[in-house]
Amino acid sequence: MTKYTKTEFLIACASRHVKDGENVFGGTGMPLLAALLAKETHAPGSNLISEAGFIDAQPREVPLSVADTRYYYGCSAAIGLIETLGFLLQGGRIDVGFLGAAQIDEYGNLNTSYIGPYDHPKVKLPGSGGGNDIASSAKRLIIMMAHDKRKFVKQLDYMTSPGYLEGPGSREKWNLVGGGPQVVITDMCQFDFDPDTCKIRLLSVHPGYSVADVLDNVMFDLIVPDNVPTTEEPSQEQIDIMHKLDPKGIYLGKGG
Amino acid sequence: MVEPEIEDKRITLEEAVKKIPDGSGLFWGGFGYQRAPIALSHELVRQRKRNLTIYTCGSEVDLEIMAGAGVASRYEIAFSAIEALGLSNNIRRRVSEGKLLVEDYTNLAMALRFLGGSLNVPFMPLRSMMGTDMAKLSRYRGIDNKLRVIDCPFTGSKICLVPSVNPDFSIVHVQRVDMSGNAQIDGIIGEDIEGSRCGKKLIVLAEEIIDEKDVRSHPDQTKIPAMYVDYIVELPYAAHPMMCQNYYDYDLEHLMLFHKATKTEETWQEYLDEYIIGVQNHEEYLKLIGDERLKELRAKEPWGY
Repeated sequence: MTKYTKTEFLIACASRHVKDGENVFGGTGMPLLAALLAKETHAPGSNLISEAGFIDAQPREVPLSVADTRYYYGCSAAIGLIETLGFLLQGGRIDVGFLGAAQIDEYGNLNTSYIGPYDHPKVKLPGSGGGNDIASSAKRLIIMMAHDKRKFVKQLDYMTSPGYLEGPGSREKWNLVGGGPQVVITDMCQFDFDPDTCKIRLLSVHPGYSVADVLDNVMFDLIVPDNVPTTEEPSQEQIDIMHKLDPKGIYLGKGG
Repeated sequence: MVEPEIEDKRITLEEAVKKIPDGSGLFWGGFGYQRAPIALSHELVRQRKRNLTIYTCGSEVDLEIMAGAGVASRYEIAFSAIEALGLSNNIRRRVSEGKLLVEDYTNLAMALRFLGGSLNVPFMPLRSMMGTDMAKLSRYRGIDNKLRVIDCPFTGSKICLVPSVNPDFSIVHVQRVDMSGNAQIDGIIGEDIEGSRCGKKLIVLAEEIIDEKDVRSHPDQTKIPAMYVDYIVELPYAAHPMMCQNYYDYDLEHLMLFHKATKTEETWQEYLDEYIIGVQNHEEYLKLIGDERLKELRAKEPWGY
């Protein structure tokens, strides 16, 4: 059996959701490695785009920032933000966006702005950045988050980015360009969304976790199908490629 | 042919910052780790500026400095954090204390506000923010002045309008500029095309001053023509500890030291005293960082970092 760390598992899991030929906003961190891994394996024709302006990027070292010069060498165009978030994204040309969040609700809406009441916030988080733009206009969203019960809430402290908003018909009401969240990947399980109700639904549990573990760690009612499979484990090939992409362990960590 | 006299727009960093009165609004250039005008934020602190409003998509170390030192009291931004390292601790503290008000937009919304300002139109439409709290809650502009969601007069479908911005100054850091202000930017431009044109005055910080003939032999490299530029400051390593493509890499050691220092008010005040208030000017700051270290950070061919 292949040995792997949690980080390696999550990156491999996320990379399987990227399809060949797709235009992908990768950002930094685990999503970036997932997008790069997909390109090195099953999706060689995918196009990695950074919102700072890099298009079709093939960085030889992992960037720390979406504007890191490491994104530059080997990319096919270096332009700017109205190009990427405007012409490409709002123009309906981005297939997949990756987002993280501090809180998510049952419709896949995300908070990356404030913890606590808006009038007296306890913690100011980074804010939208391009997150709301991506959640509004990418054809689908892959959400990656640490699994902590307090993050899977009935009511967000602040809704930064749209999932399915208030449910069926909501995205259409606001004429949003993109299709909404497709999958949520945590360190415990994967969720997708029930097409009829737009509510979050358990898709698979990672090895070592049970359906009961997941139910104990969300603060809303969760749709659980009769048959919940175990999430596929990473292959040795995927892990080897990840370490070639991040030899210094910047995102994978030292010692693996 | 009569040779036109070329206006020399070069001034010092101290002189540039003296031109910025308390209470001014500034467009703040650079994006993420790239071409951040850090040295100008230092000088704003040394000259004890107050009540500035900063307009930008996202910035990191400089926004932390201006919030932490009490130079800025309002931000109209989309993003603040130190990517890969963590939250903006100074901003988090100043927001909780009520000393910093942040009006939240998205990256595209801010870029379009600058584009609108540059185009001399009062607003720009976009398809973000609708349906979320970003379109319902305002920190200080008042929701009707932050944005409007309307039915499009042509199609009838929902569209979001954001107000254009024409700040008092635009601050942009570039790789090279000639004496009259033709500015060359290498790599991504972020929102600096729109941002440089929307301010009432434009101050350009440059790593290097080049000859006009080097501009005229590569005119496609000019991202900001001289006619927009009011003042030029020649300022090597203006973005340290952030990066400037083809000039230097980020200084990860210093970035980590900076981020750690912001974790408590006490350690932040120590950093402020040592690296910003405790030095006379940018040259002294660079001496403190050390020639050795700066040399290590120099960009290598062909990577640009």
